[in-house]
Amino acid sequence: MNSFQRAWRSTLRRPVRSLLLLLVIVTVSLSLLCGMACRNASVQTQDLTRQAVGAGLRLDGNESNRTKRLEETADKIGTHKPGYLDEGDLDGVHIRKLETAYGTQWQTWTDNSFDSLLLEDVEAVAAVPGISDYNVTTKITAVNPVNFTRIEDPDNDQYSDIGGVTLLGNRKLELNSYVLSGSVTLKQGRMIGPEDQDVCVISEELAELNGLHIGDSLRFNDCHDPENAPVWEAAIVGIYQAQQPIQPLMSGDTYRWENMIFTDLRFPEKAENETAPCYEHAYFQVGDVDEYEAVKAAVEAVNIDWQRYDLIDRNGNFATMSSNFHDLEKISTLLIVLTFAAGFIVLSLVFLFWTRNRNQEIGILLSLGFGKGSVTGQFLLEALLITLLSFGLILILAPVASRAAADYLVADQVEQSEIQRDRDASRVMYGSAQPEQTVTGVEVEITGEMWRLSAGGVIALIFISVGAAAIPILRKKPREILSELS
Amino acid sequence: MILEAKNVSYFYKSQRDKLILDDVSFGFACGRLYAILGPSGAGKTTLLSLLAGLDTPVQGEIRYDGIPVTPKDLAKHRRNHISLVFQSYNLIDYLTPLENVKLGGRGDPKMLLNSVGIGEEYWNRSVLQLSGGQQQRVAIARALASDAKVLLADEPTGNLDQATAWDVTYLLKRIAHQEGKCVIVVTHSRELAQTADEIIQIGGGHAGAAQ
Repeated sequence: MNSFQRAWRSTLRRPVRSLLLLLVIVTVSLSLLCGMACRNASVQTQDLTRQAVGAGLRLDGNESNRTKRLEETADKIGTHKPGYLDEGDLDGVHIRKLETAYGTQWQTWTDNSFDSLLLEDVEAVAAVPGISDYNVTTKITAVNPVNFTRIEDPDNDQYSDIGGVTLLGNRKLELNSYVLSGSVTLKQGRMIGPEDQDVCVISEELAELNGLHIGDSLRFNDCHDPENAPVWEAAIVGIYQAQQPIQPLMSGDTYRWENMIFTDLRFPEKAENETAPCYEHAYFQVGDVDEYEAVKAAVEAVNIDWQRYDLIDRNGNFATMSSNFHDLEKISTLLIVLTFAAGFIVLSLVFLFWTRNRNQEIGILLSLGFGKGSVTGQFLLEALLITLLSFGLILILAPVASRAAADYLVADQVEQSEIQRDRDASRVMYGSAQPEQTVTGVEVEITGEMWRLSAGGVIALIFISVGAAAIPILRKKPREILSELS
Repeated sequence: MILEAKNVSYFYKSQRDKLILDDVSFGFACGRLYAILGPSGAGKTTLLSLLAGLDTPVQGEIRYDGIPVTPKDLAKHRRNHISLVFQSYNLIDYLTPLENVKLGGRGDPKMLLNSVGIGEEYWNRSVLQLSGGQQQRVAIARALASDAKVLLADEPTGNLDQATAWDVTYLLKRIAHQEGKCVIVVTHSRELAQTADEIIQIGGGHAGAAQ
């Protein structure tokens, strides 16, 4: 009777012991597969999150360059003598001499044409392949509310406040940083698009206070001369809801977030009675985040006056978002390693217990002339037979178990990332898609490679564990084993 | 002589100063039943273990058919030259009597079971359902299945009632005389020893032929 015949009979006729081992192997294999499935799910989730959360580049004016340009332009005004000022206007820079009680004072200021990003530069960057869309936002523009009441804090002294509301012009509101971060969501109506003119989106608080609805019009004019300045009208196309209080950019009720009104790109300049717009930021969305670096390089190669601008990376968003999934990947990897270690310990103990309980059988077989290799081989074959049976069971159980485990872990990580997102809402710019939308699309599947790795891993564990447990047998003389029996 | 112990000495590694066997020499021939007698601790089982190739002597050598059995050849010696019967039967519990006999080697297990008086109705039962005497008979059938020329039995009747013990004793004698095997039995039983062709008395580490 060979080792296989003995192993087969032993496996079938000692059902309790076989079932115990079966249970251990099923548990180890399932844990391995769950770990692998979770790891795979986390990689998929990271990838989807990266794609969905998106990445972009922001173009801002360079402050040092502005100062330099201002000095250079001022030098060109009047006498054109460097270091000497003279009254005059040039390229959006204005210099006036004021005679005061303290003597002559020089007043220098700039208008929108000097401070604004150049639209042709923005459009040149937007034309770079890989840039899927872009937004331009104006500076925060304080204006006078003509036909509605702004929201005020009754406890605040309004003496130093200009009594206005703020306008924020957008080419495409959907790509505004407040919207991307989730701080602001649309409650009613629609977003503002590039083709819109004289439209606005207001806060629900402002709408409620004034009984405003979609289709109503708001009227504004220059808050510095509200009596005489022309009045401009913008139709309400949307009402937004702030998910959390937004930190105002300046003090005073003019700048509180409920009084912030999103408009089309060219409306603020009209309302403040300016002749030119002041574009403060441009945001360029990268279509495929995996191509981010290449797109960035292509943008940097665009022939514009780069000294005038700062190009700011906006890929920290997906790094922040996907860091949670990196954690999940680490947890899954740890689970795999721990399962291997625990599996080795448990299986070794099972086999050690097994061999100790089978001393008599070992002694009999050795006395009958079976070699130690044959005896160890029988134990190994028994374990492998049970492993084969386990794999049959795992085929049925693994998809369900791994799905449950991965869902749990991914959901947990999504929750963590949501918390993180809320925490960072006002600080970090995200992509336009919501994270939860991506996670539901993750397929937790057990691939052929996972099956092979898991089966290989368990079989390797069986070999190592049986080998480790067989060492005491291999070291003993048959007589010692038989002596223990008598 | 088919099996010989030549100047064999043995001590346990833990008790090097106490010789279990001291320069023991003896020869065993086919067709004879040998009984090794002696008090407990005299070294009977040790001698049997050395003859069976379950261990190696500290000094001297075991020869089979004139050829020394080296440590390297022990498994082969056990498999091809020796068959063993134990006091506690030592059947494998997850195998049937028929399968236990098959473990022994090349002989026809059914014929062997019949020859030791185990009827067909017992062949495929669990060995745990057999009586002590029946289990010992299965163990003897398994020993015979190996076709080895030497059968070593350690207290084969120790766990049996008197009637069954006599049956087993005569079975062993028949195996020696009719099948021409060399049967060596370690026993405390004087009755069993008296049926042997030769008695080897062991005591104080020495062995001597008593009959």
